Amino acid sequence: MKKLIWLLLAFSVIVLVGCREAEPEPVGLRQIRLPMGYIADPQYAPFYVAAKKGYYAAEGLEIEFDYSFETDGIALVGANELPLAIVSGEQVIMARAQDLPVVYVMEWFQKYPIAVVSKAASGIARPQDLAGRNVGLPGFWGASYVGYVGLLTANGLTQDDVRANDIGFNQVESLLSDQSEAVVVYINNEPVQLAAQGEAINVIAVADYIDLVANGIITNEDTLANEPDLVQGFVRATLLGLSDTLADPEAAYQISKQYVEGLDDGRFDVLLASIELWRADTLGLTDAASWQQTQAVLLDMGFLDAPLPDLNAAFTNEFVSQPLPQ
Amino acid sequence: MRLLRSLPNWLTILISFLMLLAGWHLLVMIGEYPSFILPSPVNVAQQMAVVVADGRLLRHSLITISEIIPGLLIGFFVALPLGYLLAKSPLAERLISPYLIASQAIPIIAIAPLLTIWIASTYWSRVLVAALVVFFPVLINIIAGLRSVPPELYELMHALKATPGQIFRKLEFPAALPIILAGLKVGATLSVIGALVGEFVQPKSQGLGFLLVTARYQFKTDLVFVILLTLAAIALSLYGLVALVERRVLRWQT
Repeated sequence: MKKLIWLLLAFSVIVLVGCREAEPEPVGLRQIRLPMGYIADPQYAPFYVAAKKGYYAAEGLEIEFDYSFETDGIALVGANELPLAIVSGEQVIMARAQDLPVVYVMEWFQKYPIAVVSKAASGIARPQDLAGRNVGLPGFWGASYVGYVGLLTANGLTQDDVRANDIGFNQVESLLSDQSEAVVVYINNEPVQLAAQGEAINVIAVADYIDLVANGIITNEDTLANEPDLVQGFVRATLLGLSDTLADPEAAYQISKQYVEGLDDGRFDVLLASIELWRADTLGLTDAASWQQTQAVLLDMGFLDAPLPDLNAAFTNEFVSQPLPQ
Repeated sequence: MRLLRSLPNWLTILISFLMLLAGWHLLVMIGEYPSFILPSPVNVAQQMAVVVADGRLLRHSLITISEIIPGLLIGFFVALPLGYLLAKSPLAERLISPYLIASQAIPIIAIAPLLTIWIASTYWSRVLVAALVVFFPVLINIIAGLRSVPPELYELMHALKATPGQIFRKLEFPAALPIILAGLKVGATLSVIGALVGEFVQPKSQGLGFLLVTARYQFKTDLVFVILLTLAAIALSLYGLVALVERRVLRWQT
């Protein structure tokens, strides 16, 4: 009987804790759920800085960071269930090909973050050196595959010229154990890990050979038509966060620690490597030519059956051309 | 209602399937859902025709089936002796059961990527994921089946001076078979999920799991539905196959 009473008490405590009132929303702020496409990470420092420094609040927004899959984010924005998300550029083209009315409004990564990495001793220093080599990819889909094909195409190679294998997200292990002669990676992640292990490596950055559209902010046509101020406010605040992060990465990293559970100083180099991909004369601006190139690569890969009827409708620079407040 | 009851089984199933399709089509029409949210049965049928014609569906299905069948068999044949041991030996049960039960709390999706590194064979790591998913429900049924043998029948076998081997062959196995086969039916459907989980998280750009990931990446929801229907068809076929075996093996019951 005693046991039963204790069990009931414990159960009641759990229920009461679970049912406690949710924290009240700050008065007047509109809560926005933002699909991020990846786990909490210092790579998202510009967004954390914008939140911490009150740039979003100044625009009347409170951002809830949602670390769900990229494809889910784009589908939710396409269905007008959410107004904004962070996604990769090639996903926007593929989504529009399936009638998802999404529009890219701010280019966050100015350089496509994919690279091919090899051991220095392998002699793979240029894209042409990949011919006949065994290259490991996370899979034959996703940004890594798009970047890899873009790199080959830009250098007159075809997929048949290279022996590509899918190795999952085990690129570091595969390279170090010589299962792959080169691996396709995110330039701001695995090369940093390999360098930390003292491995001498060659890095072939996709962005040095072809300009593909990388990660940025999307909205949908309905939000663009009916709530342009929401998009403008969000982009403006994010650009301020981005600008501050570029100016003071150390401070941005310290702020990131409040948003990334258990983050120690070990990933500061990842932020520094990421920053190099974000720099631009005009932050957030996207280039029409890069959209053409990205579409051409997708068509070449067979990921797109036909060119979009209006590729220019997939993106706009309307919200980044506004001067930032001083 | 009486008319429905009087119809042959296959016709009842066909009618229910057609009603499902009609309801689905109606839902899409009334809700005016775009294809990327909910494709109509017509969209799905058109996409099905495309992937059947270009051979993709068959190629990826065969790869998935080649992982399901060994996974199911390995899961079953490992569970069989272990189930016998646990059913017959209280000491073995005390020693092993806690670990077996605790292992069920581990999400397979968390260890599946590690299996690739440990085994170093993508194919066998996928098979192993399927086997792991199948193993536990089959094991539980084997134990339940062996324990369901009436004690009087044991007494009879002992009175007839039957050896342990004879007791197993003539009494325990036939008596437990209906429950074991029921477990195998559950395992057959679970093995499909197991193989798919393996394909989701492990590299090797082949199989219905890979096709599903690619379809999601390209926002081809109609293709996602084609794959889901194919997986359902595979699971139903396996279930039917075990049911057929069951009917033949347990003919003595009727």
